[in-house]
Amino acid sequence: MEEYQSGEETAFIVDEISGIIKESIEAAIGGNAYQPSRVNQWTTSVVELCLSQLTKLGKPFKYIVTSVLMHTNGAGLHTASSCYWDNLGDGSCTVRWENKTMFCIVSVFGLGI
Amino acid sequence: VVFSADEASNIIKECVDSIIGGIDYNHSKINQWTAAVVEQSLMHLVKMGKPFKYIVTCAIMQKSGAGLHTASSCYWDSSTDGSCTVRWENRTMYCVISVFAVSIML
Repeated sequence: MEEYQSGEETAFIVDEISGIIKESIEAAIGGNAYQPSRVNQWTTSVVELCLSQLTKLGKPFKYIVTSVLMHTNGAGLHTASSCYWDNLGDGSCTVRWENKTMFCIVSVFGLGI
Repeated sequence: VVFSADEASNIIKECVDSIIGGIDYNHSKINQWTAAVVEQSLMHLVKMGKPFKYIVTCAIMQKSGAGLHTASSCYWDSSTDGSCTVRWENRTMYCVISVFAVSIML
């Protein structure tokens, strides 16, 4: 039976995850202006890219990636999240990204298996 | 035990109605509303006493013509884990709440 070592290999490292998210957002929508016809495909590609990079890390986690993409026109947007889990093994990380025409908020929740 | 999206969805709708039901968007109160929505929803879900870890997220947006898109992707055990998303609106705001339930293996 495999025994996972505790320490680096099994910890949810916020900086690492945050870096992965930023790269995924840049790759999926960086440099683009808000276009209603493409937003659906952008939100999907942001989450899918993030998830595939996260699973490549090979750590014993289940992941949930959510993304919110909004056109900047002065509207207020507030988000909150609440989690009922095991503080030792689980963690989350949220990245806010923006360009001239849109905001993107991506959250990753990692639950230790 | 499998996650019941219908049950969770009903719980969430009741919570949102009771917190921001007939109220107009108010910039100074919005923080406390989003926090109240997630906290109360979580409390009700936990009260069901099922063996799940929960993640509840809520986004509230003022209605002003802007486009809003959300997506989520999950890497888990689809035989036991599940999610449910509720879209709610009133005259002045949209509210999107997602619940993710991850099974605790016993």
